[in-house]
Amino acid sequence: MDAGAVILVGGKSSRMGRPKALLPFDGEPLIAHIVRKLETIFPEVVIVAAPDQELPTLPVKIARDDIAYQGPVSGIYHGLQTSTKEACFVTSCDAPLLNLAFVSHLLAQISDVDIVVPFWEERFQPLHAVYRTSVAPLLKNQLERGELRPVFLFDKVRTRKVEEEEIRGFDPDGMSMLNMNSPEEYETALRLWHIRNSISVSVELFGVPRLLAKTRSVTLNLAEGATLAQVLSALAEKLPMLAGRVIEAGSLISGYTCNINGLDFVRTPNAKVASGDKIFLLSADAGG
Amino acid sequence: MYGFHGSLLHIDLSSGQSHWRAIEETRLHRFLGGIGLGASLLYDYAPAGVDPLAPANPLIFASAPLVGTGLTTTAKFAVVTKSPLTGFIADSLSSSYFALELKRLGIDALIVTGQAAGWTYLFIHNGKVEFHSAQQLRGKSALECESLIRGDLNNSSARIAAIGKAGENRVRFATISNEGRHAGRGGVGAVMGAKNLKAIALCGDRSAIVADSSGVASIAATLRARSLGSLTDKYRNIGTVANLSVFNRLGVLPTRNFQQSTFDEAESLSGETLTENNFSRRNGCAACTIRCERLFKALDGGEQRLEYETLFALGPLCGVHEPDIVLRAARLCDHYGIDTISAGGTLAWAMECNEKCLLPGAQDLGLRFGEAAGVFGAIEAIGERRGAGDLLAEGSRLAALAIGGESRRWAMHVKGLELPGYEPRSLKTMALGLAVSPRGACHNRSGAYEADFSGEVDRFKADASRGALVRDSEDFAAVLDSLIVCKFLRKCFTDFYREGAELLSKVTGWDCTSDDLRRVGERIHNLKKLFNIREGWTSDDDWLPERLLTESLPTGIARGVALSPTELREMIQAYYAAREWDETGLIPEKKLSELDLTGFLPQDAETRI
Repeated sequence: MDAGAVILVGGKSSRMGRPKALLPFDGEPLIAHIVRKLETIFPEVVIVAAPDQELPTLPVKIARDDIAYQGPVSGIYHGLQTSTKEACFVTSCDAPLLNLAFVSHLLAQISDVDIVVPFWEERFQPLHAVYRTSVAPLLKNQLERGELRPVFLFDKVRTRKVEEEEIRGFDPDGMSMLNMNSPEEYETALRLWHIRNSISVSVELFGVPRLLAKTRSVTLNLAEGATLAQVLSALAEKLPMLAGRVIEAGSLISGYTCNINGLDFVRTPNAKVASGDKIFLLSADAGG
Repeated sequence: MYGFHGSLLHIDLSSGQSHWRAIEETRLHRFLGGIGLGASLLYDYAPAGVDPLAPANPLIFASAPLVGTGLTTTAKFAVVTKSPLTGFIADSLSSSYFALELKRLGIDALIVTGQAAGWTYLFIHNGKVEFHSAQQLRGKSALECESLIRGDLNNSSARIAAIGKAGENRVRFATISNEGRHAGRGGVGAVMGAKNLKAIALCGDRSAIVADSSGVASIAATLRARSLGSLTDKYRNIGTVANLSVFNRLGVLPTRNFQQSTFDEAESLSGETLTENNFSRRNGCAACTIRCERLFKALDGGEQRLEYETLFALGPLCGVHEPDIVLRAARLCDHYGIDTISAGGTLAWAMECNEKCLLPGAQDLGLRFGEAAGVFGAIEAIGERRGAGDLLAEGSRLAALAIGGESRRWAMHVKGLELPGYEPRSLKTMALGLAVSPRGACHNRSGAYEADFSGEVDRFKADASRGALVRDSEDFAAVLDSLIVCKFLRKCFTDFYREGAELLSKVTGWDCTSDDLRRVGERIHNLKKLFNIREGWTSDDDWLPERLLTESLPTGIARGVALSPTELREMIQAYYAAREWDETGLIPEKKLSELDLTGFLPQDAETRI
């Protein structure tokens, strides 16, 4: 399905004490970091900002929420209205650890429903969900009635609830849905980011994976002690076109295997990798 | 009888006589069809020590129980004879509508012996055998023959197998072609040519009946669905040419006559690059859902079928990196009807001889690593048996014997059959598989490389565990090749022997178990070995070319990796032990009795070619 992304940036950032969209993250403003990530799978990104909010120059469409600080329903509505796509992944600018394999999985579920929304830690996650743009008029009605919580919409349209077990297959700790509202949570997110990116491995693609990804190799940053499962999850996040075709929920689909440094052929998810490892992703069948 | 017809047709070209004979069901039980049935008939019909190019050497086309059942990938047939390249068994498989038509003749095997007085083609239909003059077909390619014969017979539905000019000229690695596919290895086309038999046209009207048609249809539906899943992604989306780039990275891509196992220009020839730049269309064998065949565009606008072995043999093995040269060289091989692996192996040997000024005439052909003109000129010269091509048409083993000196050191063959595109030094299980294979250096009669690519073993190290691995792989292949099922379907079975036995039972009505099927595989392999023993095999024939045992790999991930004669010898001994053969590789009578093979006791060994 032709889909785009919507990022809501118009919150007050009152607990943070400074605009969350402009917090430094991995050497750039957080909003730029999130846009750059989403651009890898979405051809169109819409930012929904408050009427006078300042933003860095980014390759996105900007939608201005005509009345500031109305809450997420208004932001989602304006984002969907501005998008030219059939469906949009909607997130906020305070979620720095988006997992693109999980996002791609959510997107793949939209074909016969109107909304796909994760249910994590006993709560719906409406700002980490996929919406058909056709629901925008319903959101407008909601706004007019003063129903400012997105969950009211979920009962009115075809909604796919994604349960925790399914989420953990892509994102065991639900980091993709982590958002930051205070300086302490910002520090935690930065620390997590660095832990998750402390070693570097390269993945070389052969055969079908190379044709799908249109690249021969990628470098991945991972946590110390990372396993093959984490390599594959990170790879599916970086190259979402491999999700469902070669990699599924951190494992290789039947018919594919990995080789580490040209020596060991491995498929077991708990195999450890080390910094500098070269991991080849190839067909498990060498016949010819 | 279900699944089979229970009969064979024997045509003697010398006398013009044809005989339809019954095949005992016990023979089919013991050897199934395809390679197994063909090997058992070869043992009976070939006089011990027969010259492979003599009229008495039988050329056997064997069908199989699964042919015509609608099961995906089974439209195949086997060609079995004594190889003019090795002097041992040649068992080649091919796949096309010719296979379906062979079964529709109402026979399980066609045996051709003798030699026609002049060039002939056969037309077999409605229980009749017609002999037609093939004088007008001389020098024609197999594809040209197909359309000319259909016109001559005024029969557009005839299915035809034919030889090209290489077969006519008895090039020892000539193929038998059918609808663009080939029974490729071992020189079966030369045997056909030696009989003055240019082509065989078939038009059948009978179907074999299966015992449980709904049961077979149910299994066929399951396998068809699995064949379209991720397990066959490689074959369906790129084809076997996908091997080249990853083999290069893993240091197992034979390059410049096995002087290296990596090729600096591999990316320009990789399956991924070819797919992006040269892809023309996808094709498949008859009744196949995988459809691994890829046709690529050459610069002149023509298209050419290409798979990994041809790509490796006419590319890196000869130092060639331009896709267009490989495509046009492959087209030339198809035109003449030449096995591309043996062609590439023989050319690479000649290129190295030329570098060392050892091969008279190679200079004239311009045979130098990486040079297109030399490749094209040499293939033509081989097909025509012209100049130095006459010697190269003998294959690398006999050519090296003829010119003598050091050249045998880099003649890369086992038992006379040139090596396929798997570097043995960095694939130690494969090294053993290649050394002991009854038909010579072969990647199809065992899939020994699978262990090396699976993480089951350390592929750089030799050890005794490989003996049982190779044995199991050979027996598995013997069953696949006798049922017949394409090897590209093999991973779609979850428990092959159980599912295979169930399938065979539903086709034939037999009560076949997993253990029965395993035993059949072992029996067929032992029978092939018995044939070789009868034809003069000794344990010296189970060995690898000297280069592989004296030079370590100089480049890539496998740099420094070597294989010593001691390591190979130990693996071979482990293999003989796993087979329960004696230490010289002969089969004890107890084993023959256990396998119900005592009727095939070897006679006195005869001199090989």
